Amino acid sequence: MNQSLSPEAEDFASDCTRFITELFSVTDLDVRPGTVNWNSPYLNLELVGEDADAIFGRYGEYLDSLQYLVNQALVNRYGREKRLILDAGGYRERRAQTLRKLALDLAAQVKELGQEAELDPLPPQERRIIHNTLADDPEVTTYSEGVDPNRYVVITPRIE
Amino acid sequence: MTNEINESLRSFVEYLVKSLVDEPDTVQINEVTAEHSTTYEVHVSPNDLGKVIGKQGRIANALRTVTKAAAMKHKRKVYVEIVP
Repeated sequence: MNQSLSPEAEDFASDCTRFITELFSVTDLDVRPGTVNWNSPYLNLELVGEDADAIFGRYGEYLDSLQYLVNQALVNRYGREKRLILDAGGYRERRAQTLRKLALDLAAQVKELGQEAELDPLPPQERRIIHNTLADDPEVTTYSEGVDPNRYVVITPRIE
Repeated sequence: MTNEINESLRSFVEYLVKSLVDEPDTVQINEVTAEHSTTYEVHVSPNDLGKVIGKQGRIANALRTVTKAAAMKHKRKVYVEIVP
């Protein structure tokens, strides 16, 4: 863990860890809090255990819904400046690779056709991957439209 | 065995719901078991309804999804209903 954590960030981290421990202790599932990593304003927490990999590492919808509920439960105490990001079984990195490839493929299509392309709705952290992937592309720009959970990225030709 | 699973899922839903509301002491989760599925009826204080439903039902949907995840291993069909 990062040593320069503020006391409030420490509290947030231990509350997130305790939440996961207590929630799954009432089940027969092997899902436990693993390593935490503070990357302000995000606390990255990895779920470990056989069922963490098999259930939450395989289905992003499950991982995202759990992450959303923990954040929702802690928002009263910590506000929206601190956010938990959950991972399991390397899901986030695999997903990031898929999204980067999707961004590049769609950008190529936008350039070829000269028409903008809309992606399906994505959560904020995944939209950011699309924006970052194409940030330095001189031929296209990206922006987001709509309201979460239906907010989506649009890739559009850069106007000369 | 099925009873144990239902009971542990009931506790799972209860923990999630209690963590979301302002009045955890009023939370009650009833379990209604059918042949192939279990429904968890969530009762909360009227003041807390918004906290378990959310805008456009987003929190209620997340509760359903996470409960489905917890039941997946047992191939159990589960439903979560917010009862006003």
